[in-house]
Amino acid sequence: METDPQIPTDWIADFEAAARRPLALRMRYAFIHTYKPVLDDARFRAFETMAEYREWCERNLPTWLGYGRV
Amino acid sequence: MAAFEYRQALEVGDAFARHAVQYLFIGKSGAILLGYPDTTQNAVLFLQRSPRNRRAAVEALRELGFGLTEAEAADITRRKDFVQLRNGPFDLDLVFAPDGIECFEDAWSRHVDVEGFPVCHPDDIIASKAAANRVKDRESLPRLRAFREYWMSLQPR
Repeated sequence: METDPQIPTDWIADFEAAARRPLALRMRYAFIHTYKPVLDDARFRAFETMAEYREWCERNLPTWLGYGRV
Repeated sequence: MAAFEYRQALEVGDAFARHAVQYLFIGKSGAILLGYPDTTQNAVLFLQRSPRNRRAAVEALRELGFGLTEAEAADITRRKDFVQLRNGPFDLDLVFAPDGIECFEDAWSRHVDVEGFPVCHPDDIIASKAAANRVKDRESLPRLRAFREYWMSLQPR
């Protein structure tokens, strides 16, 4: 298999290791749960548009969560 | 709230199939199904936005154990573009009009089947994250683009 030489070798090693794992194991490693302030404090939210959702995130979430637009 | 598990993904697949819900895994959860090694907090599903599909999704979600009130169900069946569910067995986001993707049918035509799970093509996952342009997307895009190159190199020509 040829891979782009510009991709860091440790990333390639990660991709190859993941490819060898069965899907159920990949999911067990990948899906985690940590409390996200504000975001996790409501049981349900719905937004008319994605723009409205993005604006809500920027106005209400701590910046360190990374939901603000660049 | 526990993290999303493989068993629950199977249950989503079964329930959505019973109700003929048209959907795709998208976002980092979709990339993870494709083999992308990273972590994420919740599953994100891209749903076709027709009224019939929205109603079917409500029925399927209730079967899965999401405690939707009538008002919440109505929000899903009306033309909301983004729904965040924290009222079920796992955290789930529903997106009906993801940034960077013209329409569900376009994404479906390119989708990847991963052991029976319908997943957005890596190009659509990347397009969506690039268009969203959040700090967390900007941070993950270089590695996700590298994964896309690796993943494409594994596909039959």
